[in-house]
Amino acid sequence: MTISGLGPHGERAAPPERVSLLPEDIAAVKAASRRVAIVLHTLDGDWTRLQISGMLGVFGDCGVIVTEVVDCGFSADRQVAELDRLIAAQPDAIVALPVANEQVAAAFRRVSAAGIRLVLLENVPTGLLPGSHYTALVSSDNFGLGRMAAEGLAPHLAQGAAVGVLGFATDFYATNEREIAFTNWMQANRPDLRTYVMRFAAVDEAAHLGKRLLDENPQISAVFVVWDTPAMAVATQLNEADRSIVMATVDLGEDVAISLAAGKPFVNVAAQQPFKQGVVAAQTTILALLGGTIPAWIALPGIPVTRDNVADSFQIIWRKPAPRAVLHSLGLTK
Amino acid sequence: MPLSAEKAAEVTSIRKKGRPRTSETAAPSLVEILNLIRSERATTRQALERESELGRAVVADRLQLLSDLGLVDESELGHANGGRAPRLVRFAERRGLVLVATLDQTAIGVGVSDLSGNLLTEHHEAADLTAPAAQLASRLSTLFQWCLERQSTPTAPWGISLSVPGTVPTLRDDPFMTATPPVLPAWEDFPLVETLTRQFGVPVWMRSSVETMTMGELHAGSGHGLRSMLFIKVGRRIGAGIVCDGQFYRGAQGAAGLIGALPVQSDGVTGTLDAMAGSDMIQREGRAAAETGRSSVLADLLRRGTEITPIEVSQAAQIGDPASVAILSKSGHLIGQVVATLANALNPDLIVMAGTLAQTNDILLAGIREAVYGASHPLVTRDLRIIRSQMGSSAGLVGAARVASEAIFAPSFLKDWIIQGKPILHPDFAAFCARVQQAKAPPAIAAPPSV
Repeated sequence: MTISGLGPHGERAAPPERVSLLPEDIAAVKAASRRVAIVLHTLDGDWTRLQISGMLGVFGDCGVIVTEVVDCGFSADRQVAELDRLIAAQPDAIVALPVANEQVAAAFRRVSAAGIRLVLLENVPTGLLPGSHYTALVSSDNFGLGRMAAEGLAPHLAQGAAVGVLGFATDFYATNEREIAFTNWMQANRPDLRTYVMRFAAVDEAAHLGKRLLDENPQISAVFVVWDTPAMAVATQLNEADRSIVMATVDLGEDVAISLAAGKPFVNVAAQQPFKQGVVAAQTTILALLGGTIPAWIALPGIPVTRDNVADSFQIIWRKPAPRAVLHSLGLTK
Repeated sequence: MPLSAEKAAEVTSIRKKGRPRTSETAAPSLVEILNLIRSERATTRQALERESELGRAVVADRLQLLSDLGLVDESELGHANGGRAPRLVRFAERRGLVLVATLDQTAIGVGVSDLSGNLLTEHHEAADLTAPAAQLASRLSTLFQWCLERQSTPTAPWGISLSVPGTVPTLRDDPFMTATPPVLPAWEDFPLVETLTRQFGVPVWMRSSVETMTMGELHAGSGHGLRSMLFIKVGRRIGAGIVCDGQFYRGAQGAAGLIGALPVQSDGVTGTLDAMAGSDMIQREGRAAAETGRSSVLADLLRRGTEITPIEVSQAAQIGDPASVAILSKSGHLIGQVVATLANALNPDLIVMAGTLAQTNDILLAGIREAVYGASHPLVTRDLRIIRSQMGSSAGLVGAARVASEAIFAPSFLKDWIIQGKPILHPDFAAFCARVQQAKAPPAIAAPPSV
């Protein structure tokens, strides 16, 4: 699978294989007794759990101690405070997912100025440069995920249909890329469609905004939401309102998988590989601690998931069996 | 919406009889005070009086006017040195936005900056610059609209600045572009500047990618604070950006630094540096190495149906493929020989290598370093640093933003719009805008399907 997007500074993606660890790397980092902190947007949800799981395994294998895993609760202020606290604690490296752009940029600059290696996940605050302010960005091919969602939704849309897009109002690299790629693919390949875009500022606003989008544009017959948690909230709201539409999103959360297997409202999901991404982030951090040359952007391709491959994709992505409801809907269990 | 020529003429009319209005005589001192604040050479009222040599009453009057126009902000307090803390005078850099774009052979980047040239949002995506210009303009316009929608506080754009992959002839007198220069063959006869002016109602500036990237590196990258720097961009074409005494040097026609046209010799063959060391050569030699089996890595990729581009050759070299290493070393040495000549002539503090190949490949950089250190006077290389750019395509966006902010606040342009408060009310621009509104728009071309 190729990477279709470009990095936050227009970089070409480096494949995850570029940061593979050799036995001598593992021996060297074990001998160095390093400490790492992980700072995430939230600790809720399967995506985060798998990311952490992937990182902890690799760090453990390499004798790197994870001193803490911080939950920022999607709050820029909280992330700034936590980063400043961590600067005083002086870990050797921080793996972080910046929750915002401008509001957190200065705090991340302070981390690198304090000599702490910084590996970013999914987002780079504007103005921060690889090599100077952070070592590398590890992310999914978010542009590719947006295109994948559009490509999967298109066959379910009648000629001249109206499509709703629910984006994220926060200036965030990953969700920006998904939204742009989705609308770009539709404009280029289905010029007959009309797209209507709204953006939610917080996850708990998504359901309300989804309803508003459809109330103001009743002709909409399909909706794309930029990740699964708000997408499920929108789906629940629309189900309660007895609206029949088809949906696509990014990330194969458990509820979305069940909906996909049931055949409605989700018909297509562009899935990330959070466990693998966690592994790659940890490998990148270890190479950074060893002073190796690291590519500025390491990207992982997405996996297109439909009803046909939801059970096996669930196993690949989440490293556990698909929920019983999925297997039941697919007739794979009684 | 752009202002009509009549309206612009009305607001900027000069009184023909009697004493001139205060607004007519204030412009020179307003320009001076605003640029002192903008450049942070003066950040308090006392400093403004000292630097401008204007009286307290005049400074107070001009600050009031600038404040009314929303161009300065005095809400912040400075540090007290014994007495009362002075009120800081800050440039209101969020008063307007600048839309910026980089157009490369294989990608476009878009962004939004504030009026000081600080990038607020950016996005890059793959694109084909040989596609019809109307299609490119349409995509650019869509992405600019998207960038504006993303701003948490809705703010109007004040200008558009483009970074393009070719030389843009110097415009000595025009404060903004009034025609589209023939930068690329695919753009011939397409009025890109006029189209963007019509759609967004703001002035457009255009500079070569080498110039904007050099400006970006100088102001926000490794060159920050340096007086002398060489910026070398390696792609299909190889160009140099020259910074002397802290200023970008454009030359008589805006064509300084076209080192890709210089003849070089390798293995008994003479050709231009572009042809002998640019990415076309790397691609051609890489394909030949794949087809003849000289490179097992590239041959394997070819068998699997992968197209051999310079990126594949670069990645193969990075993992130690001998044939790919040889191709990139040859390119690096040839570029290094030419760069050494420039370094000996200019004695820079820093040489920054940019372009996808230079930024992702250690072998090319090593070849350049070896050639420069081997062919330069010891004094020239004593403290010389040769590094790769860490800004990527962001350098072009930051540089384009600097080009626009310098043009908007150039004293010769500023003096004719400052009283009105916005550059779109400059009489020359308002007249140009009215002219392009009346002209027939070029036909739109739909984007081709993505693959």
